[in-house]
Amino acid sequence: MVRAPRAPHGDRRTRALGEIASLVTLEPWTLSRAYHADWHSAGLSDDDILHAIVLSAFFGHLNRIADAVAVPLDYQVRLSPPPTDPTAPPLLPSPVAVTGRPAIELSRRPATAQAIAAWRTYIFDRDAPLTRRQRTVLARWVSLFLGDGGISTPDDLTANPIDGALRELAETITLAPWKLSDETFRPLRKHGLDDAAIFDACAVTSSAGFFSRVQVALATLMRDRA
Amino acid sequence: MGLPYFGYTESTGELREIYERMRERPLPPVYRPAHGGVPGIITAHSLDPQLIPKVFGTSTTLNGAGPLSWPERELVNTITSRLNQCLY
Repeated sequence: MVRAPRAPHGDRRTRALGEIASLVTLEPWTLSRAYHADWHSAGLSDDDILHAIVLSAFFGHLNRIADAVAVPLDYQVRLSPPPTDPTAPPLLPSPVAVTGRPAIELSRRPATAQAIAAWRTYIFDRDAPLTRRQRTVLARWVSLFLGDGGISTPDDLTANPIDGALRELAETITLAPWKLSDETFRPLRKHGLDDAAIFDACAVTSSAGFFSRVQVALATLMRDRA
Repeated sequence: MGLPYFGYTESTGELREIYERMRERPLPPVYRPAHGGVPGIITAHSLDPQLIPKVFGTSTTLNGAGPLSWPERELVNTITSRLNQCLY
């Protein structure tokens, strides 16, 4: 199932969990009422579905930070991960902007909701190393790529060279994290950002991806399939 | 390649204090790194020590609790990593 996550494996409940992880990772804006009903019929409760959505989105953050610093795997695994293919095409950006109330409220997991709120405040409510404006620029690009209509699109931004470099970083981290390399960071270094500032940009982008992915996935479950 | 990160033995000050708190968290033996330090995914955040408790505080509420079982949580995590082409 890990080697071919989208192929049918296991019982219905296992397949449903695999489907949630796949869709949240690749195209969270495609979830719908039909998926929601199908997962219920596979034996998943709303609490199970919520857990799987938030867990997958969270692990997507860990993946991106691991890629940004190229940290090696340091615990034993039975099945070695396959090598990364740097030529793999990027994930597709969302063609839609999703708004509206979530089908399942995050507050059903109060400890998780509280922890995410503290994380979000830390990411966006400070002025160093990145400025608040730069944090917002990154989050707006991420929301555009992931279809999070709750955050305004970045098309009204005044273009400047650093914003352009931040946009490129946001696109790589969100849509092709396996392509992250020193080359990705070079434009930001040219504008004077040091390692701490570049890591901050990576962390803001990756965190915004986590927040938007959860928001989009939970809201699209209210919608009929397009 | 990539940005730098600092392991337990290289850590000082605030980062060392946060690593000590992370080491006190309950962790299944299978996740403990053989090098005896802090797991690599935590050290990956070392350029921003204050971010570590925010991220792994969230992790505790997701990976240390149900309703999904441990194998089910691992399944979700592993598929996510595979699709993101990440070894972690």
